[in-house]
This record gives sequence, structure tokens and C-alpha cells, in this order.
Amino acid sequence: MQNKQLRKWIPFLLFTGLLVGGPSLSGSPALAADPAPQAAPQNANAFTGKITGKSNKAKTISIEVQGKNEFLKFDDKTTGLEHAIEGEAAIVQFEMRGADRVATAVKPKLATLPEGVTEMKTDELASLIAKGPEEGNYVLVDSRPAARYHEGHIPTAISLPDTVHMATGDAYLPGDARMKKTTLIFYCGGFT
Amino acid sequence: MSPKSAGLAKKMGHTDVRVFLAGVPGWKKAGKSVVASEKFVQTGNIVLVDLRSKEEYEAGHIPKAHSIPLASLAAKEDSLPSKAPIVVYANSFVEAQQGYNLMKKWGVKTGSIWPGGVKSWAANGNKLATGPTPAAITWVRQLGKGEVSVAEFKKAMEGSSTQVILDVRTKDEVKECSFKNSLAIPLDEIEKRISELPKDKEMLIHCTTGARAEMAKNALDKAGIKSRFLLAEVECSQSKCEINE
Repeated sequence: MQNKQLRKWIPFLLFTGLLVGGPSLSGSPALAADPAPQAAPQNANAFTGKITGKSNKAKTISIEVQGKNEFLKFDDKTTGLEHAIEGEAAIVQFEMRGADRVATAVKPKLATLPEGVTEMKTDELASLIAKGPEEGNYVLVDSRPAARYHEGHIPTAISLPDTVHMATGDAYLPGDARMKKTTLIFYCGGFT
Repeated sequence: MSPKSAGLAKKMGHTDVRVFLAGVPGWKKAGKSVVASEKFVQTGNIVLVDLRSKEEYEAGHIPKAHSIPLASLAAKEDSLPSKAPIVVYANSFVEAQQGYNLMKKWGVKTGSIWPGGVKSWAANGNKLATGPTPAAITWVRQLGKGEVSVAEFKKAMEGSSTQVILDVRTKDEVKECSFKNSLAIPLDEIEKRISELPKDKEMLIHCTTGARAEMAKNALDKAGIKSRFLLAEVECSQSKCEINE
């Protein structure tokens, strides 16, 4: 266990060591000082955040950026409007036309997975579910708020909202999962 | 967010951690169904549909279920409320899924399956009901978070000392018709003009469907102004604004 923990940190230590010890490196040393910024940096001509609404009649998209709601216009030339889905993360590129921000392109913001965690695709999940948690040796965890779980969840999933998970760690996982003997699969409301 | 939870699990020493990134939307898009929890079937504001034969239904069904045998479901599209969460069950998951898929085609947004049918319902200690199906399907939408009822909205139209109607439609739309006692600021100007709103009154926001009104409510929330929004159709008829639920 101790070994494993250490091994996990070695690449990171090497990496920071290089940055600190190698001033000739082309990368900016300022980056090393803050390896995990809380929010994505906001480009002057793009917003990254959660879409909070879209109105076709007013041709307006609203997106939550660092806790603030921003409004943008869109028009027939705006591409990727199908990605402007309420509640989903997106990148909206725009240009200024007079005082108006006009969206030029909407792209889905793809989630980045923590190190050592891999994506599971639909087919693999479906074949595990067909076997069931015991034979498939998995625990499927629904990370959404409990109310969403109740109205409709993927078969065999248990409910463990991410807020509860963050506060309680493994306490609500079934025994085998707590003993770390099974595959843990998390899902939520899409690419967020 | 599932990646965040996966990161925590990894930190706590789990070795095999995966994320199903497509999530529930991707699962549904792939033509697969979702299942309802027992609590949701017991207490949710749902329409519960028993897809078995009429005889099986009458012999014992989950309370509040309506009998619509799978073979006749296709003809029942109009009798099911499209905005209601509909939960179906049958003798087998495959049959339940056939019903679920058909409803998906109709555009039912929150459909799900009670996977075990009457067997698992009774096995979990729940009672079954007997007898014929109710004459009609009645379902009343409950107000969502931040919504104002049509009745209360109409009252405010008559003039209220504590509430103001805020119209967030475009200037052209407002020209066609507007409510009495309303203040008009188009959605995309809300943030710039937020200081024009009275701070000591509750704003009741409307547009033509509720979509823009809800977006405006988010902006007002951030500014600390109390508000609710109207989720209903607002249409102009002979220069008069009318509300349809």
C-alpha cells in the first residue's frame, strides 16, 4: 500500500522537479505554481461553463461562467447549437457585434478523467449489467442528486450523489466495493 | 459529477475505477431504458401503467396503476399526459421495455420501468390492489422549483402591492400584446438594466413558454432579487395576452 502510494507520486515529483530545477525549460514556471486551477481560464472570445438555458425565440443562450450568468445572442450561422443543452458543460465561442456578444460556435466540453481512471463505453456497461453486479463483479454508482436517481437510473445502479460521496468517502458503498475488490463504475447526467 | 467521484475513489485506494461518461443521456440515446426506484413508484407524482392483460391486472396490480395491455398501448397515445413521468411494468423486462420504447417515440421525457413487476412489488412487502382500472388517467403537474402558479400570476395582473410582473420577451413581441401592470425588459438586457427593478417586490417573470423567464430568474437570483417564473404558454389573441397551461 505504502509502495503503491509512493509510486503514484513519483511521476509527479519528477515532473515538478524538472520544472523547478530546469530554468531552461520552455514551459512557463508560473504554471508549476498552480498545477490545478479551480476553474478553466476564460478565453477573451469564449465562455466555458454550464449552459443554463437556450431560447430559440429570443435567439439567446445563457451560460454560467464562474458563478455568473452570461447571455449571448446566436444566429443562423452559429454552429453546434445542438450542444447548447441546459445543464451540460460547453464551450461557446463568440464575437462582439456592437454591444452584443454573438455566439459563433458551441462545442461540448468533454470531461477530463482523473489519472488512473478510464472511460467505460455503453456496450461494455451493457454486457456487465446483463451479468449482474455479482457475476460481473462491479458496483455501478449514480452520482446525480437522489431525486434524479429515483425517477430513472441505469439498471443495477446504487445512488450515491457526488456531494454525499465527497462528504462520506466510502461509507455508503456496499461491502465488497468498500473492500476495494470490485470494479467501481461512476456515471452522472452526461458529459459534465 | 462522476469524474470527481471517481477521483476520490482512486485517492481512497480503489484500483479499478471507471467512468461511464455518456451518462444517462447516452444510455437512453443508445436505445436502453432506465428503471424507477421503489420509492418513486410509491410516492412520486407519476402515471403508472400496467402492460399486462386486463385479467391479470384485475387479479392484482400495483395501487394507482392504470391498465393498458401492451397490444393496445399504441392506440392510447392521446390519453397519456405527455409531460407526466410515466412508469411501466409488465410480466417481463422485455415486455416493459417494448412499452417504454413506444412511449419514447411519442416524446415522453421521463419514462422509466419498474423492473420487477407485481412479483417484486409484493416480495418487497407492498400491497397489491384488485378490481377494474380507473375510468380516466388524471395527472396534475406539481409546480417546480421557482415556479408561480397561473392562478397566482393572474391575481398579480389585477394589481398587487407586493408583486410586479416582469415581461422578458423581445420589444416586437411586447408591441403585439402585454399584460396589465407589467414591466418589460427583454431577456438579453436584464443584466444591464437590473437596477431598474424594484428591490422590495417579488418579480413574477413570464415570456411565451417559460424558457426565457427561467433564464431571467437565474439572473435575478444572482442579483439577489426575489422572483418566480411562469411555465405556461402566453399567446397574443386580438392584441390581448392569454395564458394556456
